[in-house]
Amino acid sequence: MAVPIRPQPRTLGDSLRQNGVSRRGFLKFCAATASMMALPPSMAPAIAAALEQARRPSVIWLSFQECTGCTESLTRSFSPTVENLILDIISLDYHHTLQAAAGDAAEHAREQAMHENAGNYLVVVDGSLPGPGSNPGFSTIAGVSNLQMLQETVAGAAAVVAVGTCAAFGGLPKAAPNPSGAVAVSDIIKDKPVINVSGCPPVPMVITGVLAQYLTFGTLPELDAYNRPMAFFGQSIHDRCYRRPFYDKGLFAETFDDEGARKGWCLYRLGCKGPMTYNACATMKWNGGTSWPVESGHPCLGCSEPDFWDAGGFYNAMSVPVGDSGNVLLAAGAGGLALGVGASLLGRHKRAAAKAGHETVTADELEQKL
Amino acid sequence: MSGFSLERGLQALREEMDAPVASFFSSCVHCGLCAQACPFFVETGDPKYTPIHKLEPMRLLWEREFTLWGRLKHLVGLGRKVTDDMLAQWEPLLYDSCSMCGRCSLVCPVGNDIAYMIRKAREGMVASGHAPEGLIAASVRAVNTGSPMGLQWKTLEVQIKHVETSSGLEVPIDRQGADYLVLLSSMEIINFPEYLEAITRIFDHAGVSWTLSRQCFEATNAGIQIGSKDIAATLVQRVVDAAEALGVKNVISPECGHAYTAIRWEGPNAIGRSYPFRVFHIIEVLDQLRAEGRLRTEGKEMDRLSMHDPCNLARKSGVIDQQRHLMDLVADNFVDLKEHGKFQWCCGAGGGVSSNERAEALKMAAFKRKKAQIEEVEPERMVTMCATCRTQLEEGLEEFNMDIPVVGLTEMIADHLVEKERA
Repeated sequence: MAVPIRPQPRTLGDSLRQNGVSRRGFLKFCAATASMMALPPSMAPAIAAALEQARRPSVIWLSFQECTGCTESLTRSFSPTVENLILDIISLDYHHTLQAAAGDAAEHAREQAMHENAGNYLVVVDGSLPGPGSNPGFSTIAGVSNLQMLQETVAGAAAVVAVGTCAAFGGLPKAAPNPSGAVAVSDIIKDKPVINVSGCPPVPMVITGVLAQYLTFGTLPELDAYNRPMAFFGQSIHDRCYRRPFYDKGLFAETFDDEGARKGWCLYRLGCKGPMTYNACATMKWNGGTSWPVESGHPCLGCSEPDFWDAGGFYNAMSVPVGDSGNVLLAAGAGGLALGVGASLLGRHKRAAAKAGHETVTADELEQKL
Repeated sequence: MSGFSLERGLQALREEMDAPVASFFSSCVHCGLCAQACPFFVETGDPKYTPIHKLEPMRLLWEREFTLWGRLKHLVGLGRKVTDDMLAQWEPLLYDSCSMCGRCSLVCPVGNDIAYMIRKAREGMVASGHAPEGLIAASVRAVNTGSPMGLQWKTLEVQIKHVETSSGLEVPIDRQGADYLVLLSSMEIINFPEYLEAITRIFDHAGVSWTLSRQCFEATNAGIQIGSKDIAATLVQRVVDAAEALGVKNVISPECGHAYTAIRWEGPNAIGRSYPFRVFHIIEVLDQLRAEGRLRTEGKEMDRLSMHDPCNLARKSGVIDQQRHLMDLVADNFVDLKEHGKFQWCCGAGGGVSSNERAEALKMAAFKRKKAQIEEVEPERMVTMCATCRTQLEEGLEEFNMDIPVVGLTEMIADHLVEKERA
């Protein structure tokens, strides 16, 4: 018996219906997307309409010096969600981890997608790449260096989404001493819009949110100074943290097993980088809204910020100076103090000597001047 | 006696490099606010009269010898040296264009006491032989004759006789154990003899036990003005000796600004010990008598009066309310100048400027600020409580053809005393 051929879905709406997503569930997703992107609720129907009509965009996913954690984050959900349905219906034409093809066939798929969708496809990058100055052999795919593949692939792209802190800021490969000379995507790509979706890994909803906006409006989201979508990276973890009231009251956990830790007090002194970290964890949470690091009792590492690996120990409070500079400053201060004290002692000595040698001014002496 | 020399001057400056000086020089932010506060700059517009600039030689020496960078620069042969020529060039800046009124110190946003440093810088000028002739002459006369104007006791005695005749009261002289030793200034004795008569009558009226001293009648201190702590100490010591010889409880500084700060504030530091008596300005004593109800007055001045606060009294010593209480006692139509009290403008003659003939033109230039202030409120008469300020106001107003007489506050009080019933 011939297996009925399922028609290839043409639009996102078709795809969702094929996958059994109800209209109601879809509209809920659109409303959530609207609120995530800080749009008025009245925009939800517009998003729904646009998504239903949206053609499946071609997406080429390049994986360079990465751990596949970002892909895992996006795909390993506990239950099928609208997010991964969106991933299902984008035409993911090239993705190492997910594609069935291998070898020449895989690379051929990439080239074909680039050719057929020239000027319209999205490139998603995870992982950093060895920079122009370093050995291109440190990371290659099918004998092509990451740098060359990125430049080739991006040439005909509409935009680039750098997923994960490695692609956005260099991440772990770039951490000191950066043996592979790793650089971020935005260090290489200057002539196309690059959206950084940082995090190690990023919140999955943030990736789908950015894709949804592109599908809906054909535009890219408003970005912050690090080219991260403002809708998700506009506020610090600290500002949205449910433990913030304890910080304001000065109630801190001092160790991981003290009374404060058990009572859920602020983790600032245990090294929480929440105050300097901009991300959506505190509001969107992880694992389908189950929890997030601070809620599980662990301080924020600041994984969505540039160079967070080199920003001192994860368990040092933010007020503790990073690395050796504390000691250097202390030594410099002590040196300066010693010099200052020495100089002032010399000065005092000079003044005392002048005083000891004081020649009294007398009227007779003054009179000689007249 | 080695005589004055550059090296001796620099040595004198080194002596003055104390912690306040070091912190003042290191914290100057070059904002120039002191210029706007200085009547000599404001009225001439010449940037060399910027107060902190007047201290440049002292600052250079400090930088060169008392700072690490300065010393390093010196080692490799960089940085300017303070030369005799430089000091000669700065002599008019430190003496002619500064009355040490302290307005610059008041406005300095980082709290630098510029007037304090000018006083110190003058030590170096004296020791290097760069003090102005007028001040040298005044200092010599003050030490040798007891008065910067060369006045002697016999001149004062004539005035005393005159006061006694006109008031019918006795002027107590060398009275042991009196409550108050009254000091005078030569300027008053010669220009404003009515002051002595006024206090004779007021103290008689209020029943104050007071005395003059033959040993020392002069309150002014040319040493403070020229900037020599040695001369200053000699002159303060005379006052202290006279007060101690008579065993008085209090010493009254006359209607003179710098005499008051010299005895009240600088004196104990100059002689290196505290006094066994207290020091008051005559205005403080009068206001105390008023508060105690011992001044009974009748009638009031009905014309429009304004007042000039002497810098030494108001800005440097905080005597501001007292003279206003006294004005309320005897004046019906008193109006303050717009900037008065601690923010008042100097008359332009203090700090030795009036003893320095060379500074005559600058002194009059600086007065223009006071003149503008007076024109703003248009008083019929001005009241003040410092003989130097009073002389300057009189000369200045005359120079600009302004018919505004100047009176001393003490005399004005004396004029309104209720007559005692004679037995």
